[in-house]
Amino acid sequence: MKKLLFILMFALLPLAMVAQSALAAGDGPSKDMLKGIITEVNAAERTLVFQKDDTKEFMTLTLGEKMQPEDMKMNQKVLINLDKHAAADKVMKDVSIMFIDMSVSKLLALLVIGAVGGLLSGFIGSGGAFVMTPAMMSLGVPGAVAVASNMCHKFPKAMVGAYKRWKYGQADIKLGLVMASTAVIGVQIGIKIQKHILNQFGGAGSNLYISAVFMVVLVFVGGYVFYDAWKLAKGGGKETVSKLAIAMQKINLPPMMHFKTAKVTISAWITIPVGLLTGMLAATIAVGGFVGVPGMIYVIGASAMVASATELIIAFVMGAWGSVQWGLSGLIDIRLALLLLATSLIGVQLGALGTTYVKDYIIKVVMATTMLIVAVSRGVKIPGYLIDLDLMSPIDAGTLALLEGISFWSLVTALGSAALIIIVAMVKGMTADRHSKRALAGVNHG
Amino acid sequence: MNLTTFDKNMSAIAFAEAGEGDTARQILSESAKKQAGKSPVPAGRPKPYSKTIIFGMLSISAYVLLFTNEKLVTEIFTMGGWRWVYPVGAAFFFSFIHGAFASNLLSTLGLEAKK
Repeated sequence: MKKLLFILMFALLPLAMVAQSALAAGDGPSKDMLKGIITEVNAAERTLVFQKDDTKEFMTLTLGEKMQPEDMKMNQKVLINLDKHAAADKVMKDVSIMFIDMSVSKLLALLVIGAVGGLLSGFIGSGGAFVMTPAMMSLGVPGAVAVASNMCHKFPKAMVGAYKRWKYGQADIKLGLVMASTAVIGVQIGIKIQKHILNQFGGAGSNLYISAVFMVVLVFVGGYVFYDAWKLAKGGGKETVSKLAIAMQKINLPPMMHFKTAKVTISAWITIPVGLLTGMLAATIAVGGFVGVPGMIYVIGASAMVASATELIIAFVMGAWGSVQWGLSGLIDIRLALLLLATSLIGVQLGALGTTYVKDYIIKVVMATTMLIVAVSRGVKIPGYLIDLDLMSPIDAGTLALLEGISFWSLVTALGSAALIIIVAMVKGMTADRHSKRALAGVNHG
Repeated sequence: MNLTTFDKNMSAIAFAEAGEGDTARQILSESAKKQAGKSPVPAGRPKPYSKTIIFGMLSISAYVLLFTNEKLVTEIFTMGGWRWVYPVGAAFFFSFIHGAFASNLLSTLGLEAKK
């Protein structure tokens, strides 16, 4: 029975992928987005001729009200969003150049974000995505391309990180695959909810929903992880299995599954909701790990070390699957993905080996710190969305700009402080290790 | 019978004085070998300089090749459909060679996991 379920879960994974490819839906771009080249602009009529990239068919589009004919860039791949609410058909809402010109400062920015994101990923199992996509967008990359390129850099990074941590005996492959197979389904549910909200309440409603989920999850889960880490730090760092996990492990509902590395025997039915929620969160806020890792620690009963390592396996499976989706729509800017990889592959391995020098609770400290600071960054955005939805009276532009600034800088602070904690803990651990080795050598000599 | 280092050194001297230099040297080298094996400080693994350089060169050439042809690459890689193989394949390829470079680089810098 156990084996049967395991096989079933494995079978589900490729099946979901195949179904996804066949339907070509999923977390790909919306249908109102066109990819191709502008071949002709008619300024007098405010129209342009556009050649679609995939079918090579020509179509005539009308410029939106605020668009200027001289701003239309010809013979360059562009992404065009159509205005769904316009009275006429095929009216453009906006146009963006698909591939940004790579300047030295943009290149350096990508390398720095890659390194820090990689370090965080290797250490706590996830991280970086919440800052990489907005950072790329602020460099001028269209949103869909930023999401796609981030996805394409995430899975090789997670693969290398997972391999390293598996070699250190920390990653539970079976738990990772079981979680990933349910997370893939969770992503589908998450997307369905997202689409429903977008249709019902529009862009601002969707943003409000995302920010609200971000806030609730990050404040509650992050707060709890922080409280737990603080307790552990006071008590000398000896980690114990949570009461909830012990209760869950006692539920004898077949099929029971044994996870060797995590040292846990638990009913498969308990892992399913954790996986589903991880996927749903990944589809909503792009960081499933913020639920996946605490879920594996407090509900399933794995140690922080094993949970953060196992999360990398989940990230790999989900990232690879997502990359195929975005690749099918042809939206991955491989230059961005590979520049992020250039430093994140170093960062992720450094983060992974760093975990071998620190106590288990340091992982919780880093995770909680990141989550709580990111919560601030999303929280300050909520007033703006509430105003858009007419749920709050408008505030002056200066205050809104200040809130935007706080939002951006808190993300930078989140990454910076997490990197700092990791590096300090790692250097301390390495120095202590060297001292104890030297002392041992001294005893042998004497 | 177990010979101590002192015994060995003495017999080597005896052989050397008797004009048997080769035998003396042999006895001394044996004891030196044993001494090295007994060393209480384990000799660190040799650092993978050559691997770092080889993978580093491979990785840099791949990056240079990609960025000198960026117009062509971005064009082909974003055609959609079955061409998803290109970006995903490239990401895999780079993760292997650049990942190997990064791993060796960290070892060369003396950053290894705690045993």
